[in-house]
Amino acid sequence: MLFNSIDFAIFLPVVFILYWFVTNKNLKLQNTLIVVSSYIFYGWWDWRFLSLVLYSSLVDFLIGIALGKEENPTKRKILVTISIVGNLGLLGFFKYYNFFLDNFITAFSFFGQEISARSLNVILPVGISFYTFQTLSYGLDVYKRRLEPTKDFIAFSAFVAFFPQLVAGPIERATNLLPQFYKARSFSYIKAIDGLRQVLWGLFKKVVIADNCAEYANMIFNNSADYSGSTLVLGVLFFAIQIYGDFSGYSDIAIGTSRLFGFDLMRNFAFPYFSRDIAEFWRRWHISLSTWFRDYLYIPLGGSKGGTWMKVRNTFIIFLVSGFWHGANWTFIVWGALNAIYFLPLLLLKQNRANLGTVAEGKLFPGIRDFFSISLTFALTLFAWIFFRATSVGHAFSIIGEIFSPSIIHAVELPKVSYVVMLLVVVFIMIEWIGREGQYAIDRLEVRWSKPMRWALYYGIVIAIFLFAGKGQDFIYFQF
Amino acid sequence: MKKLFLNILYFGIPIILFAFIADAFLTSQLKKSRKDEFGIWNDIYNGKVNSDIVVYGSSRAMVHMDPRIISDSMHESCYNLGINGHNFWLSYLRHKELLKYNKKPKLIIHSVDIFTLTKRPDLFNLDQFLPYMLNNQDVMDATISYKGYNYFDYHLPLLRYVGKYKTIGSIFKSMLRPSASDSGRYRGYSPQNHAWNDDLVKAKRRFADFRVDLDSASINLFDQYIRECISSGIELVFVYTPEYIEGQEFVKNRDEILGTFRQFADKYNLLFLDYSDDTLSFQKKYFYNASHLNKDGAELFTVKLVNDLKRNSYEADSGNSGNSGNATRKSSKSVN
Repeated sequence: MLFNSIDFAIFLPVVFILYWFVTNKNLKLQNTLIVVSSYIFYGWWDWRFLSLVLYSSLVDFLIGIALGKEENPTKRKILVTISIVGNLGLLGFFKYYNFFLDNFITAFSFFGQEISARSLNVILPVGISFYTFQTLSYGLDVYKRRLEPTKDFIAFSAFVAFFPQLVAGPIERATNLLPQFYKARSFSYIKAIDGLRQVLWGLFKKVVIADNCAEYANMIFNNSADYSGSTLVLGVLFFAIQIYGDFSGYSDIAIGTSRLFGFDLMRNFAFPYFSRDIAEFWRRWHISLSTWFRDYLYIPLGGSKGGTWMKVRNTFIIFLVSGFWHGANWTFIVWGALNAIYFLPLLLLKQNRANLGTVAEGKLFPGIRDFFSISLTFALTLFAWIFFRATSVGHAFSIIGEIFSPSIIHAVELPKVSYVVMLLVVVFIMIEWIGREGQYAIDRLEVRWSKPMRWALYYGIVIAIFLFAGKGQDFIYFQF
Repeated sequence: MKKLFLNILYFGIPIILFAFIADAFLTSQLKKSRKDEFGIWNDIYNGKVNSDIVVYGSSRAMVHMDPRIISDSMHESCYNLGINGHNFWLSYLRHKELLKYNKKPKLIIHSVDIFTLTKRPDLFNLDQFLPYMLNNQDVMDATISYKGYNYFDYHLPLLRYVGKYKTIGSIFKSMLRPSASDSGRYRGYSPQNHAWNDDLVKAKRRFADFRVDLDSASINLFDQYIRECISSGIELVFVYTPEYIEGQEFVKNRDEILGTFRQFADKYNLLFLDYSDDTLSFQKKYFYNASHLNKDGAELFTVKLVNDLKRNSYEADSGNSGNSGNATRKSSKSVN
């Protein structure tokens, strides 16, 4: 079920009413409702893959209990290894089987060995990378004794399948989300209104900004050979805005929806395109994934504590794995490597934590230095996005070749209506800039604006969605 | 909780009211529009097609056959119902709605092409269905399987207008300047004065081995349509209008596709006029891309077509065989 669909617009109020009016007296029943509604939500795409969600829940629930009882370190290690292999095996089969197979065949043929192996027509289950990482973190936390294993299978299933964040995150830690299923939730008007506001803003980002940008980004990337360097640059820009609007919009809807049910999810985006360096960008982009890799991969590998070689190695590992997490294609690996290259100088010069606060806090405009830092960081990000969006590494290089050719000064070849989209993007960036000190762009309205002003803005957003909603595009991150 | 519900109610009531009022307003304006396909649908639903001869097909029908020339020459009223960007499924919708709201035509000139018996996934130019799709079962049946509208769009007010800012903008533009809604089409015909473009070069660059896969559901529907036409006494003629020779060579399984139409013509004893080898198909100056004739080409072609129709269809019994199109001739129209 898509957040931006009528199906969800019917589903959400029904679940909301059942949750607060029918099951509110009994926590177990309320959690059961969450599990059932989450399974309906997920099964709307393909009910067959519900078995994977159930499998993931069951494996880690049982391993958690076993880890809780087991004191022998070797046995505990075996148990956590089963959890890791179970989760990553699932992910590996559905997401990477054909990739590895194709690359093995290519590698063998390079050395003159022709091997024949049949690639499988494996359908990628929606959101598999998200919920396997979520359950994996539970097993690891219990193993590290950061968390008591749960004995409540319903609460654990609700934690794994919680519909607002099941298919595209934020990837929650069991330490944050699971305890929320143990406690009775009480309805909070302030929280619910704030949630609705965030849902509205997320919808705007998704259907107005991302879906419209997608139309032109797809047109340009899918026919890149037909366009000049200048138009290709615009295509990359459209994609950068698309992926941000799409993914952060989804996260806003997920977080806002959770708040309607009394849950607090972690923040996933913090205005990343206003970052002054790549390190700051990665603290602000897909925060739940970056921190996941930090906590469960980077720090266990030694983080930045060792010598120079260890820092370089760990940085490359984390960025390459992060790239590979996004998809079974060399383009994502190159994208990860590029980000590692961007990040390393900052780390080695101990400048990776130079920009921790909000840019130009309390000011309307950034200083010249900040402006140039933001522009340079954005340009580097754009360059990396070319690999992320291209269908192959060769495709990415052909686009880069055209961008760095004399055709960069040719007039842009796009239909006039694309100017409407550009205007919307400019308005969107302005709103984001003004609201950059909040959790999301319009979250401080309650204290700053009077009710008529707020409602005028909400109606404005509704009208913008009505008029400018783009052609329904799938959320990009569903494929990951 | 009560406060939340009241706020949602107060916020939502104006939106619901707006939805009904805006839907009524936008739809009524589009039902008056002459712009692009709106004008054609309006003519169909208002019973203004009412012609003895109708032309069906895709954009190739729309830009290739001038109803003025057909009417003048054949002394019967004619309307071109060619629909841009679509294959047979939408032609069939037009056919059904035509019979419902207009008099039955005597003759259908059906322009067939390589894409007629295929089905594209997206609903091209989906805005054209806006004024007549609400609670219209025929339109829903014909279009819901495409990527475009969902069930609720066909049943809830205003929902289908979401994101249609170009069409909504054009409504207001035509209210301010009525001439803005005139698409320059004459009884469906849309002459094109474009110069030759690089569509074919781009297509060759993109597809080294271009093949068209026929769709079995489309073939079955096409078969059903032929039987319906014959049983209701409507004369049906297939025409493969001129296609620039380089474009013909581009489609690798073109012969197989044309063979399918020949089989239909043979099976039901229908006339099939194929202009693939006509002299027009070898003259680039009459095309603006490999599949579409420009206005000069279209007018020359329509003259040829009516001459061939007269010879083959209306004057068939005289045994005249001087047609320029490659004709497969029917002998009987009856079907069980």
